[in-house]
Amino acid sequence: MASADELTFHEFEEATNLLAETPDAATTSRSDQLTPQGHVAVAVGSGGSYGAEDEVEEESDKAALLQEKQQQQQPGFWTFSYYQSFFDVDTSQVLNRIKGSLLPRPGHNFVRHHLRNRPDLYGPFWICATLAFVLAVTGNLTLVLAQRRDPSIHYSPQFHKVTVAGISIYCYAWLVPLALWGFLRWRKGVRERMGPYTFLETVCVYGYSLFVFIPMVVLWLIPVPWLQWLFGALALGLSATGLVFTLWPVVREDTRLVAMVLLSAVVLLHALLAVGCKLYFFQSLPPEKVAPPPQITSLPSNIPLPPTLPQSMAPS
Amino acid sequence: MLAAMKNRKSILELGIHFDHIRQKTWTVLNPMKPADGSIINETDLTGPILFCIALEATLLLAGKVQFGYVYGMSAIGCLVIHALLNLMSSSGVSYGCVASVLGYCLLPMVILSGCAMFFSLQGTFGTVSSLVIIGWCSLSASKIFIAALHMEGQQLLVAYPCALLYGLFALLTIF
Repeated sequence: MASADELTFHEFEEATNLLAETPDAATTSRSDQLTPQGHVAVAVGSGGSYGAEDEVEEESDKAALLQEKQQQQQPGFWTFSYYQSFFDVDTSQVLNRIKGSLLPRPGHNFVRHHLRNRPDLYGPFWICATLAFVLAVTGNLTLVLAQRRDPSIHYSPQFHKVTVAGISIYCYAWLVPLALWGFLRWRKGVRERMGPYTFLETVCVYGYSLFVFIPMVVLWLIPVPWLQWLFGALALGLSATGLVFTLWPVVREDTRLVAMVLLSAVVLLHALLAVGCKLYFFQSLPPEKVAPPPQITSLPSNIPLPPTLPQSMAPS
Repeated sequence: MLAAMKNRKSILELGIHFDHIRQKTWTVLNPMKPADGSIINETDLTGPILFCIALEATLLLAGKVQFGYVYGMSAIGCLVIHALLNLMSSSGVSYGCVASVLGYCLLPMVILSGCAMFFSLQGTFGTVSSLVIIGWCSLSASKIFIAALHMEGQQLLVAYPCALLYGLFALLTIF
């Protein structure tokens, strides 16, 4: 399915090049290339949402449908159907976008190359949810593992970490793109060539860039401090590089000062997020002040014992 | 004899078809078998409620009194998946249908918590088996949703939120 997608996009690029040279030749080459590709799409089986129509004679119908769709595509942002268009993605498209965020390349702009100006909300939403979930789970797991190694630490499940993780990740993934988008629009007057990204494209870029933090957080379970900082630096580098490569084409026409300040602010905020997660979710519990007698610590924590309740509530 | 027939008739009038329940249970228990989309459209909550009660009973026998969490997580999870499926599919889906499918696919989780009664799951074997069970539940659920809503190429996208939800249930079972 990914190969069919690649074929479609290359076809459009060729078509636009041909249109620039000879407008008349464009239509014949498109319809000629459409037939074999249509057969390829049929052979593959299920088509993606970008898949070309199978029959050539439906091309005119498709054009009419597209026009209709564009006219109908005016529902307000308060309606459900407005958001439906942002979830119209395939498994292969989401995986492709994740791969694109993991491996930033200098020439490839994430928004133009991978999003193709069709941002989706599925990726950012579930990447943030996964990151919050994984942060809370691994934060608790490090405490469990630390307790196994050192029985003087008393562990109780810290459910408040789930809420803290959720709120902080979602606020970062939505408020920072909002601020960035607002700032870029404010500076729009300075730029002639390239318009700013839409708000949802910015949210998409940020959401997919947070994906690399998920394996980093899982690897933070290894209790070796320098290794944890190394993984953190690697992941932060990858993620921030992706963001900078995406923002550079938009920002480079601005004055150098504004460009540098903006890019360093973006990288700094990203670094703050990573360091904050490390320090808040992976801090070790202090050992309990009154060491409980051995037979109480060997009991499983889920059977409530009234006499030990005040002691067990103290460190949480 | 007459009383038994009367009872059967009144059960059928309630809309409880035992062969449909059995068919849906076999669909869940066999994740490789393709699902039949038409049986899903009836909102049947008998099976799900039975499985929820079975899950809570096994949790209780393992020593965890957490009824509130089970109901709370199921309700919120159903809401989120209902919203997501309405956004992702071209045809809408009702809340009852979502609750019914998610409840049926809770059956492997009941098996997992049944095992938790006999030995602790906080080891390598427990982790591996719970991962397998989570995968099983979410694959079945996404297979049924895909078949019922005619969504193509989005099975993993639907399976992933279901896996997160069943992961929460598994965490409840293990810890």
